[in-house]
Amino acid sequence: MPSNSNHGAPALDPDVAVRLPRLRIERRAIIWWTIRALLLWGSLLAALLVSMVLWEPARVWLTVPAIVLGVIFLARLCVEPWWRYAVHRWEITEQATYASKGWIVREWRVAPSSRIQTVDAVRGPLEQLLGLSTLRVTTASSSGAVNISGLDRKTAEDAAQRLALVAELSEGDAT
Amino acid sequence: MTGAPERSGALERPGALERAAQSLEAAGPDGEWRGLSVRVIWVDFVRSLVSLMPAVLAIGVFEVEASLESLWPFALLAAWGVIGAVADIIRWIFTRYRVTENEIERRTGFLVRRHRSVRHDRIRSVDTHAKLRHRIAGLRVVTVGAGQQTNTGEAAFVLDALTRADAELLRELLLQERRDAWEPTGGPRDGDRIFQSESESESESASESEGASSGVPAGAQERQREDIEVLAGLRPWWVVYHLFSIWAYLLAAGLLWGAYWLAATFGVDLLDLSSRFVDWNELGWGGVVVLGLLVGGVVGALGMGVNFFTAYWRFELARVPSAKTTFLRTRRGLFSTREVNRDEARIRGVSIGEPLLWRWMKMADTTVITTGLGLWDMEEPTAILPRGPRGIARDVAARVLGEPRPFTMPVERHPRAALRRRLWWATALAAGVLSCVALPVASGTAPMWLLWAALGVWPLGLAGAVIAYRALGHAIVGDYLMVRAGLMSRTTSVLRRDAVSTIAVRQSILQKRLGLSTVSAMTAAGWSVYEAPDVASSEALRLAAQAAPGLIDEFLETSSPEI
Repeated sequence: MPSNSNHGAPALDPDVAVRLPRLRIERRAIIWWTIRALLLWGSLLAALLVSMVLWEPARVWLTVPAIVLGVIFLARLCVEPWWRYAVHRWEITEQATYASKGWIVREWRVAPSSRIQTVDAVRGPLEQLLGLSTLRVTTASSSGAVNISGLDRKTAEDAAQRLALVAELSEGDAT
Repeated sequence: MTGAPERSGALERPGALERAAQSLEAAGPDGEWRGLSVRVIWVDFVRSLVSLMPAVLAIGVFEVEASLESLWPFALLAAWGVIGAVADIIRWIFTRYRVTENEIERRTGFLVRRHRSVRHDRIRSVDTHAKLRHRIAGLRVVTVGAGQQTNTGEAAFVLDALTRADAELLRELLLQERRDAWEPTGGPRDGDRIFQSESESESESASESEGASSGVPAGAQERQREDIEVLAGLRPWWVVYHLFSIWAYLLAAGLLWGAYWLAATFGVDLLDLSSRFVDWNELGWGGVVVLGLLVGGVVGALGMGVNFFTAYWRFELARVPSAKTTFLRTRRGLFSTREVNRDEARIRGVSIGEPLLWRWMKMADTTVITTGLGLWDMEEPTAILPRGPRGIARDVAARVLGEPRPFTMPVERHPRAALRRRLWWATALAAGVLSCVALPVASGTAPMWLLWAALGVWPLGLAGAVIAYRALGHAIVGDYLMVRAGLMSRTTSVLRRDAVSTIAVRQSILQKRLGLSTVSAMTAAGWSVYEAPDVASSEALRLAAQAAPGLIDEFLETSSPEI
């Protein structure tokens, strides 16, 4: 057998844990998420309420969905941004990009630098307004991208450049 | 060996192959632009004639009255055939391809010109297939699979169609080219290579007086044929696994409707005819449904059986060595043939899916996890075996992957909490449906049975939860990560650990309370993400660390240092 089955994996004791990524994101991201919730979920709720008012026969069917949507809207508006700010962290080392995200469902992911295919700094209209940027590190896997949102524009650009340099060093077609 | 006669058939007609090779040579190392086979035109001419035939038959033989009303289906058919043929001719005129030292290029398109080039080292698979009309005309359609993003449905590199000899030569060039590209001593260029191997085969024929004087890459082929390792062939009893399927009813409906429609255009009413044998009123509704299911099932099963034999006739899965890499080759088909060559260096693992309804008969679908082959292709190029018994699927998978036969290893079961999570979700789903329906039913807007239907969701969901829980499993076997999950189709995927790029560990609030995490291994191949859902949280970290060796080590720390 070419490699032993325990290769690379340390003897994991029960008390070994994965540590948090070192860097936090900008506080401005809280504003960004709040505005986003207001625009997206607020408009959805408004559309539902308007259709309830205008369309009499559908009212009985739409009551429960409207209540559910209202609860979701409130959670997205008041809870999600703060919670996300507490969870979202990131770190870029020589070997890998490491980020954690989420709120109700949280997730951390690690993408090795040797498999990086593209590095983008993406800025939507809202992000541009707040001077924020999302760092998107993609690998050959179509679902393996690491998105780090809520970075300062300058930080994201620097990180993108650094990653591009690291990725250039590794050979092969990274599949 | 089922594939041999066809291949030697191509070699026994050395003229065509030699001519093709010479014209390639004449073009020099850079290759010249070549067109598709002119026979495409003839095939299209015949096809448009054939598409006119039903109309001619209907008028001439069955004396159907020639009016627009009665003839519109035939007119549609004829128009379809003629338009298709004209489109094909335009495509034939404007399509050119060439093989150069570094890449294969294709130009096509009349209104929108397209130019596509694929570097040799990006070629993942070379696939030839032929429909019946191609086979009669000695044509082959060549598809070059080249790592296009399969998930985005990017169009493949297709040459439709070349003569059989040309297709054979092109395949040889593309698959053997790799040897030259990889030879450390700077291999000869493709044009030269042909000269070289030809002179080789000539010297062979000189020494053996006759026999091998045939085709151009003959020397290579002779050697290859010895090294081919056949992994699986067709067993006719596998047809059993293809008879029973939901699609059988669809097929039956299509067949019966087609028969009814065809008969109706010739003035025969099949419904009327059948009522002579069966009294519809006497049967009642239940009887009609049962009879329909029976007849539909039998017709569908027969259709599926015939379909299986035509699709998998002379099926063979073999390992074909070529240059530095090997190819997994499948050949199959009676009327339309298909040959797929998959680069083994690109194969990252194997998936075996076991559909829920047929698990009792141990039915299994076997596919390879690889880059560059379309997952949504109807012809399923990733499937290395027809649907068949699980034992054989596992045997073949073991021979494809090598030791230590991952599929025979036991998987680690997931904690009971995973079952609890599924039961909670099933209950939540039922409650959600119920709460949506409750108010309308209570206020009398909706009928009562809707409430019962909503209540029925609950036991179904609970049963599904138990089945889904029992499917869960994961293991690390040698160089492979093995994950098993799935409700409707329990799928066991074995993925090479060095192919895992990104690792993600996910945990919802409910999962956190239950002490569970979901580990995802992302890769460039196959479905691009393979998950082990609801692993115990402590085990999740170990699995993540082992699934991608060394990747997350630098982010681990001991929370309470050992003394």
